[in-house]
Amino acid sequence: MNKNSPHRIKNVILKEWRNTFFNLNSAAVIIFLPLLITLQALFVIYVVIMFASADSLNSTLLQNGLNLLQSSIPSLSSLSTIDQFQVLFYSQFPIYILLIPVLISIMFATFSIIEEKQYGALEPLLATPVRTWELLLGKATAGAVPALIMTWICALVFLIGVNWIGSPDILSYVLSPAWWISLLLFVPLVTILSFMLGVIASSRTKDPKSAQNMGIIIIIPVLLLIGMQVSGFIALNTFNMMIMAIIIAILNLIILKAAVYLFQRESIVVKWK
Amino acid sequence: MSFIIESSKLTKKFPERVAVRSLSLNVKKGELLGLLGPNGAGKTTTLRMLSGIISPTSGSAQVAGYDIENEVEDLHEVIGLLTETPGFYESLSAWENLEFFANFYADLDVDYQIEKYLKIMGLWNRRDEKVSVFSKGMKQKLALARSLIHEPEILFFDEPTAGLDPRASREIRDLLMKLKKEGRTIFLCTHNLEEAETLADRIALINTDLIALDTTSNLKSQIFKKMVIVDLESVNNHILDTVEKLKFVVNVKQKDNQLQIELIDFDQNTPDLIKALVESDGRIKGVSKAKHSMEDIYLALIKSDEGEEI
Ligand SMILES: Nc1ncnc2c1ncn2[C@@H]1O[C@H](COP(=O)(O)OP(=O)(O)O)[C@@H](O)[C@H]1O
Ligand SMILES: [Mg+2]
Repeated sequence: MNKNSPHRIKNVILKEWRNTFFNLNSAAVIIFLPLLITLQALFVIYVVIMFASADSLNSTLLQNGLNLLQSSIPSLSSLSTIDQFQVLFYSQFPIYILLIPVLISIMFATFSIIEEKQYGALEPLLATPVRTWELLLGKATAGAVPALIMTWICALVFLIGVNWIGSPDILSYVLSPAWWISLLLFVPLVTILSFMLGVIASSRTKDPKSAQNMGIIIIIPVLLLIGMQVSGFIALNTFNMMIMAIIIAILNLIILKAAVYLFQRESIVVKWK
Repeated sequence: MSFIIESSKLTKKFPERVAVRSLSLNVKKGELLGLLGPNGAGKTTTLRMLSGIISPTSGSAQVAGYDIENEVEDLHEVIGLLTETPGFYESLSAWENLEFFANFYADLDVDYQIEKYLKIMGLWNRRDEKVSVFSKGMKQKLALARSLIHEPEILFFDEPTAGLDPRASREIRDLLMKLKKEGRTIFLCTHNLEEAETLADRIALINTDLIALDTTSNLKSQIFKKMVIVDLESVNNHILDTVEKLKFVVNVKQKDNQLQIELIDFDQNTPDLIKALVESDGRIKGVSKAKHSMEDIYLALIKSDEGEEI
């Protein structure tokens, strides 16, 4: 750290924002895509609850998921079966919501780095006194702030939606510790992880689309987790969530190391394609 | 005289090939050094090493007293780099681009400097336009403005006029002259021979290895000092015979009534040559030293370099 570092990092952040939010496409992706993801979740759950009977749901794999949920929230059995299913569906959202920071971070990382590569702006940038870690941190912060804010806004929208379309009193079951662990621990960790994956993917290609495709691989474990939970393979109780947080944190460290290694003057100029 | 750029056996190897081999050269403060060489000669690689963007595989260099590997951030405060491609954020305006780059330097009056250089480059009226609408020449001028924005004492320019129309090239050359007069040290990569000849105090010719390093006039006399051109009313076999038999004549070429004669030593042999010509009844219309363009020197040097390699 140097006395000029904060100033230089701020400079990077402001440029990223100026560049991104003046671009209608990316501004739309950052603002509307997360809302779309949230509203779609609410809609699907609403349709299932409205039109499926408790019996039909009970005869599926979902029964396992529900049994597991009952064992972690004993008071759940006081609700009707269909309401219990509502809680099960709504409880997927803390995991499902991770798609939002993943998408925003990867978009930010690939958009900003690939653009710099295409224009050849990285070399003159590297000839200024900026340190590469300052650049990386500035870019990551510029991506993380909108990712976190949008995720939290969407969580709020979702809860308002649950309160509105769900059965009365259901919110208290939905707002389990898993929510808070997800919003306050998973979301920031996954934001950084996705950003660094975006950086790594961007260093390998000149085309934002293929970089995004590479980065988006991270969505697969998120979807897998939801599938495992609703079908009763694992319960997302506090203990399991904390274990997962630790695993993601370790993954973060590894990926961060790789990204910092790639993000050095020499490799940017010589090795990046 | 102290040197502001000192490189010693600077070498850069890429996995596939050696780009620069054992380059040792010094540049004086205020000097304009032209780094000349064909495509792929290692000019850009040299520039990147000296400006602390990539590390040499071996060898070392000091620029403005800073080690190019270990004092990169300090080094970057005092050098300006014009890269091969201008490299701007095309969706940002000229002003916003300069502001972004200028903000990385310590203690800079950013607004003042941007205005100063946009005016010098004739881009002041276009400052709020997006760089994407700029022509190639305008982008290059903006890139020059960027490289100068922090008033660096040492400038590294990579082919500043490549691909520009004659007018834009001329404006940029005039600017280089002005910067030189201001006392800045300029390291100019180019494959434009005329540019090197008119601007550079000294020329370093490279083709992976350093082939020659000297002033243009020294380079010329080193390689071509031995040629004399004699114009005669007419050339006959007797005259040709006489000349060829002279001990100090290395080679004679006849071109109509002109003889191009290579001597062992121009100053010593020329009077004797003329005497011999007169004695064999040659009617001399004129005697001159062979004039050679930068191109001749360049080709001769590159050729001899390639010859050695075979
Ligand atoms: N990043 C790189 N990876 C591998 N080889 C390179 C790289 N950069 C340059 N080279 C090779 O090094 C040699 C010198 O290149 P360069 O310095 O760009 O030459 P010049 O600027 O004189 O045209 C060339 O043969 C080029 O192919
Ligand atoms: Mg080059």
